[in-house]
Amino acid sequence: MSPSSEVVVAARLPERVALHARPAGRFVRAAAGFPCAVVIAANGKRANGKSILEVIGLGAAGGTELELSASGEGAVEAVEHLAALVRTLD
Amino acid sequence: MAVVTHDTQYVGLVLVSHSGEIVAGLAGLVGQVAGPDVPIATAGGMPDGSFGTDGGQVLDVLRSAANGAGAGAVVLMDLGSSVLAVRAALVELEPEELERIVVVDAPLVEGAVAAGVTASTGADLAEVADAAREAVHVSKL
Repeated sequence: MSPSSEVVVAARLPERVALHARPAGRFVRAAAGFPCAVVIAANGKRANGKSILEVIGLGAAGGTELELSASGEGAVEAVEHLAALVRTLD
Repeated sequence: MAVVTHDTQYVGLVLVSHSGEIVAGLAGLVGQVAGPDVPIATAGGMPDGSFGTDGGQVLDVLRSAANGAGAGAVVLMDLGSSVLAVRAALVELEPEELERIVVVDAPLVEGAVAAGVTASTGADLAEVADAAREAVHVSKL
């Protein structure tokens, strides 16, 4: 895999945790720590993973499977870290 | 008026409203979403507790934010006299104070949440202002 490849990982939200303001805030703050671009896809929508308003706007309910993708520097580390975060949000 | 100061380099927020309760509640919400590091100052309501925007209070808060230890501040207001009070206060500030303040045209709640989260990542003043402006365009539904 070349360093510029897009990395995609699926991560399911815990059943009781929707991607509302507080969890979304945790996600965005974590995503902002990586140099690569991060995109979340869910419910047929795509959001910039570093934009709190876009992430909230996904309207992802608890139990929704999110597709996390990143490309650029640190992409592998970013999606692994963020997928683990998504699965353990509370 | 509540001014929370932190000895950090995070960009802060100044929230201006007709109501002290609105900005106090919003400051609490932003703190929950963005974490405790972002300094948030508020100005809302009149000295007698009625609704309105007190020009002196707004000027004090803006001046304090411009001279604080942080990396400047993004100012968001609700509407009407809040906007007029901020405009009037800007006229009173020194050029070097104005360099550390960005007044943003954005919805108050959404802009504050977006700006607060971005500020919490250590973003600079221009980046935090851009995040607040994004609130004009991002759809809720």
